[in-house]
Amino acid sequence: MEEPILKVENLEVGVKKDTGFMNIVNNISFFLKKGETLGIVGESGCGKSMTSLSIMDLTPASVSLKSGKILLKDKDLTAMRKNERRKVRGKEIAMIFQEPMTSLNPVYTIGYQIVEMIRNHQNMTKKQAYQHALNMLQLVGIPRADEILHEYPHQLSGGMRQRVMIAMVLSCSPEILIADEPTTALDVTIQAQILELMKSLQEEMNMSIILITHDLGVVAEMCDRVVVMYAGEIVEESEVHELFENPKHPYTKGLLESLPDVDEDREYLSSIKGTVPSPSEMPEGCRFAPRCAFASEKCQEDPPVFRVNQKSSCKCWLFEDSTAE
Amino acid sequence: MIQYIIRRLIHTVFVVLAISLIVFFSIRLTGDPVAIMFQAGEPTKEAIEEVRENLGLNEPLIVQYGIFMKQLITFDLGESFRSGLPVSTMIAERMGPTVLLALGGILVAILIAFPVGILSAVKRGTAVDFFGRIFSLLGISFPNFWLGIMLIIVFAVQLQWFPASGYDGWKSLVLPSIALGMILSGILARLVRSSMLEILNQQYISTAKSKGIKDWVVIIRHAFRNALIPTTTFLGIQFGSLLGGTVIIEQVFSWPGVGRMIIDAINQRDYPVIQGGVIVLAMLMILVNLIVDLSYSFLDPRIKVGGSDK
Repeated sequence: MEEPILKVENLEVGVKKDTGFMNIVNNISFFLKKGETLGIVGESGCGKSMTSLSIMDLTPASVSLKSGKILLKDKDLTAMRKNERRKVRGKEIAMIFQEPMTSLNPVYTIGYQIVEMIRNHQNMTKKQAYQHALNMLQLVGIPRADEILHEYPHQLSGGMRQRVMIAMVLSCSPEILIADEPTTALDVTIQAQILELMKSLQEEMNMSIILITHDLGVVAEMCDRVVVMYAGEIVEESEVHELFENPKHPYTKGLLESLPDVDEDREYLSSIKGTVPSPSEMPEGCRFAPRCAFASEKCQEDPPVFRVNQKSSCKCWLFEDSTAE
Repeated sequence: MIQYIIRRLIHTVFVVLAISLIVFFSIRLTGDPVAIMFQAGEPTKEAIEEVRENLGLNEPLIVQYGIFMKQLITFDLGESFRSGLPVSTMIAERMGPTVLLALGGILVAILIAFPVGILSAVKRGTAVDFFGRIFSLLGISFPNFWLGIMLIIVFAVQLQWFPASGYDGWKSLVLPSIALGMILSGILARLVRSSMLEILNQQYISTAKSKGIKDWVVIIRHAFRNALIPTTTFLGIQFGSLLGGTVIIEQVFSWPGVGRMIIDAINQRDYPVIQGGVIVLAMLMILVNLIVDLSYSFLDPRIKVGGSDK
């Protein structure tokens, strides 16, 4: 197997409180290979956004990294100085956000904002940078790109703005794109277009994508591999087909069961009982146990990650008999 | 845009009309100017009558107002009861120092409040923020005449760096500008801080950071540029009120401004000077507000003045 481009090792992120350190992300590890799309799935508040913000070093001031490593190829990002870290942002790892409506600065033209990005990382004259920005806009399929360059964000629709964001963050050919719910705020038809666009650009630029979403439909469409997060932990990691055909963790099963099935005629969709525990009231042992239909005595103890087969691993005592990793 | 300006100017005519009515009649409730003129001696009835006749005060009020309005339309503000000088000349002489002082005060306020407000917001919750907020509070709570007198004692009397009073060269502008600006800077710093805090939470600030540009570029170019929109409104309104409302500072520093002129005129019931002064100030205030409104479309592309285009 080729060496992964990004490796997250035992990452712990949280908030300092008077009572101690409150973990939001608890000891997670995963990796990303060149050219693949990794999905990070989970309910809101499970720590998936905080994980991506930690990789970007964009966490809110109150949130800090407690331990763990983030390895970009062989460089440890967490050991870098702020200034070096800044230069990685946008050039090697770029990010697009959930809200295209508010992601662009309202007082600057589209062109200005793209050119700012380009000139920040590449040695280009203003003229060259504008030409490059124009090319990028055309690449993401924006009509009358030469006019849009001089327009302001409020003159564009949400879908168009997300295209502009994609054009902007890809203008410096990053190796990794983190997309935090990139289509959640868009109409369904536009969603499909944006996903299609990301897919084709990924091939063209041989880029790796971390796609954060709670939408399993998007995962099936886009991802090669999936990491399922629950309450700040990774409970399952699996290849995408394996995940849908043979989910391991009870939580993953619950998620999949809550999807509507066209062949089945049901009045209600099934749902996972209970709610996600808040970070201050985490249950001992397995964090999913209180909501889990398969929970047993053993679940009082925190399960390790078991490698179930070549394609997947799972953090659940049910797979104890598989060879532990 | 042009249409909008014309519409606003037509509004101005009505505002001036209303103000002229209020000023004209209200000052006539305050007492007889002639009685004040003769306070010292024992004038004869004939003398009083003669003066009243000369000043046109014997006409019925409505006729007096008519004459006043007729003059106003030709931009003639009449003559001072006291000095006999044309009111327009008097205002013209005093307007320069007033505008200069207002600009000086705003400049000082900006120089202090922008850095304090920005730092306070960026370093929220730290010692920097704490001192920034204490500073704003002090700025707001100080009575400005007290600050003015303190400045005079320290910098004019003790250190003799600047003149204590008068209107003579840029040096004389320094102390009154600081006195005026310090007070304004307290409120301004708070406004800048709160606008910055709101904007720093916006998604586009995260976007800007994710582009890998320098922190201070994010703060100034992306955050502060947006904070300028509410700030400009505030400064515009403040500038308008500074034109007429610097009376105390003008008094403390013997500054020959319009505010002091109007106060003196009120004490002497010098009707034409009061009327002229108030109307000119009102018109200036309207003009400044118009300029502020027009500046929005430059500061914020989402705002199209007059709702034209598209």
